[in-house]
Amino acid sequence: MIEFKDVSKTYPNGTKGLQHINLQIEQGEFVAIIGLSGAGKSTLIRTINRMIDITEGQLIVDGTDVMTLKGAELRKFRRKIGMIFQSFNLISRSSVINNVLTSNVPDMPWYKVLLGIYSKEQKLKALEALDKVNILDKAYNRCDELSGGQMQRVALARTLNQNPSIILADEPVASLDPIMADMVMSDFARINKDMNISILLNIHHVDLALKYATRVIGVRAGQIVYDGPASMVTQDVLNEVYQGKKIPTTENDPTGAAK
Amino acid sequence: MSVMEVYENRPRKLWVRILIFCTLLAAVWWSSNGITFNGIAQKGAEVASGIFHGLTHPDLKIMFGTTTEDVPFLIAQTIAIALLGTVIGGIVAIPISFLASTNVVPKGIAYIFRAVILLIRTIPSLVWALVWIRVTGPGAFCGVITQSVCSIGMISKMYITAIEDLDTGILESLDACGCTTFQKIRCGILPQLSASFISTIIYRFDINLKDATTLGIVGAGGIGASMLMAINSRRWAMVGSFLWALIILVIIIEYFSTKIRARLAHGRQ
Amino acid sequence: MSTDVSKMPLFDRIFKPQEITLENGHKVLRPRSRMPLIAFCVLTALYIAVQVTGFDFKIILARGNQLGKILSQIFHPDRGYFNKVVGPLLDTIRMSLIGTILGCLLGLPVAIASSSNINKNRPTLLFFRLVLAIMRSVPTLIIASISALVFGLGTFAGTVAITIFTLGIVAKMLFESIETIDMKPYEAMQSFGATTLQAFWAACMPQILPTYLSHSLYCFEMNVRAAAILGYVGAGGLGILINERIGWRDYNGLGMVLLSLFVLVLIIDFVTDYFRSKLS
Repeated sequence: MIEFKDVSKTYPNGTKGLQHINLQIEQGEFVAIIGLSGAGKSTLIRTINRMIDITEGQLIVDGTDVMTLKGAELRKFRRKIGMIFQSFNLISRSSVINNVLTSNVPDMPWYKVLLGIYSKEQKLKALEALDKVNILDKAYNRCDELSGGQMQRVALARTLNQNPSIILADEPVASLDPIMADMVMSDFARINKDMNISILLNIHHVDLALKYATRVIGVRAGQIVYDGPASMVTQDVLNEVYQGKKIPTTENDPTGAAK
Repeated sequence: MSVMEVYENRPRKLWVRILIFCTLLAAVWWSSNGITFNGIAQKGAEVASGIFHGLTHPDLKIMFGTTTEDVPFLIAQTIAIALLGTVIGGIVAIPISFLASTNVVPKGIAYIFRAVILLIRTIPSLVWALVWIRVTGPGAFCGVITQSVCSIGMISKMYITAIEDLDTGILESLDACGCTTFQKIRCGILPQLSASFISTIIYRFDINLKDATTLGIVGAGGIGASMLMAINSRRWAMVGSFLWALIILVIIIEYFSTKIRARLAHGRQ
Repeated sequence: MSTDVSKMPLFDRIFKPQEITLENGHKVLRPRSRMPLIAFCVLTALYIAVQVTGFDFKIILARGNQLGKILSQIFHPDRGYFNKVVGPLLDTIRMSLIGTILGCLLGLPVAIASSSNINKNRPTLLFFRLVLAIMRSVPTLIIASISALVFGLGTFAGTVAITIFTLGIVAKMLFESIETIDMKPYEAMQSFGATTLQAFWAACMPQILPTYLSHSLYCFEMNVRAAAILGYVGAGGLGILINERIGWRDYNGLGMVLLSLFVLVLIIDFVTDYFRSKLS
């Protein structure tokens, strides 16, 4: 369970990233966070595994107060949380399987890391992770030979390989074409159902968010302006999230504008 | 394919790695046979502590003195040697590199000049200095001549690359305007080459400055000779001030040379 | 058209840009050319340099034939002398091989510590960079003569000198390439709990390995040439012979030494070129 208690984030230059966020996310939820660029979606996601430090309030993940963690504790905590990035963040020169295997590195003794030796079990587990995202046949190709959608799946496999209980995804489909984006989103949905992993993702494609997520959070200027099931998201909600209009209008399709 | 099948068909690179590792190990083993460690020389520790002491307590009198024995003059002389050597080398290299470019002269002639350049590059600068000393006698003049000759090798090599990359489309358009050969060289070729030529010369100046200190060791002027003398007579305070002067000089020159070359390559931002 | 005077370079404030008015009334500022100033500075510097170094072209014209004599002897190498060259030649290869390998191995951690994108601790970063700058600015021959005093005459002193020299160069080239790599995989590794070193090794090393190896090969090439003259200050290798032959004015023998060195350098260039083409 992820719990935000009156969380705020003010950046050193004075920008307010988040303001008084209160939020509870149960294990196994599929949450899509929508909002304009710069609204604080990324900040919200990245505070959970403390890639960004919060400045006020309390953030509790699975019973741990995130801000109290230091050094080795923090790294151990991060092992349970997978993260997916917009630009995949893969080592493009390495093979697909080696990229997946890097998620074992934090638990390995230093000499094995130094020489890059992985055991048979680790390799089989990595291959299974690749199988789960349907990209097993590319296991020994170099990453830079893959398409964007395939790379995002490799990144997903890398995350699955660390057995996370939560997956955070920062704009996972923003660099993909619509068909690829749909496929990657369905991968997320399947993983969410089959493995009971909580998924939080930022997304600009409102239609995809509504199609796959169970819960939608709308963020505007660092504040939550909508929080509820995907089925309850109406045009009025979208107008408020994207245009800050409280009065319902039927002009301007924000879903179209957001793409 | 199942996971197991893919695993069994994985590319195996272990043998390649072991082979590379063993080759390296064998090379190290063979080399270490020839290198004998006789322990630290009796006075070794004294030398080490002396240099450390010299670096922390440099001789300030030498550092700021004004005679020809003192640091400022020697540094100026070193810079002068490098400057003249680079400029002469850079100028002499121009005709040579045009004559060695395959897009200017026939291949046969180009290869003859390339062989000459290769010859110049092969003989170490120290040997050039020792040979030139027989002509000029010891002193800064010898350093200048040596550096001029040695610079020709590398500078020509880089000039040639620039010349062979020339964009000949511009010449065509100048031809179309009715320019003479001289006008074509002045307006079509020079502007293309000048930036990379100057950049090469500055880069070489950077190298020559470091080399000039080395040449002093064989008596070709500059700070090197005095430094080696100070080391051999164990006047550590003097060694310290020479070393500091050298370090500061090289760092400053390296900084400016990188800056100027970056500006020549990318223009003002 | 008003320009903020305080933001203009000093040069443009002293030599005011020329204002050109076109026939249609438009104005354009033409900054004064810096060429005359630069040319003046360079010419003055050259004039001073000629005075300081005692440059005199007449000496070369008068005694140039000396050079011709020496060079013609060098180009007629004494073949019989080759037997004596073999030993020091092998020593030179040995010194540069071990020196390169040690220098490159030691250079890697130093390069990591000097990369501003990996090492976020500013004081240690500056410290390592300063040490590198010092290592590169002291000439190899000076390092060699100091290490010959510390470790005694011989190949060991030369190996130490080459190691230090290689360390300085490899680490500088390497940290410059580390600073341009893609840091995103590194960020990803940190997101799932890797330490700085683990993340560097697994995410950045595959990216810089080819550059690292080609830098190392380049250094090996350079070191063979450098190692050949270290003997001049007593640090073993071919330099001892060079010093000796020149002292005895045996230029035919010197020719043989240089010829062997030339062939060696050619072979090594060939071999390293082969490996480098394999790398890319």
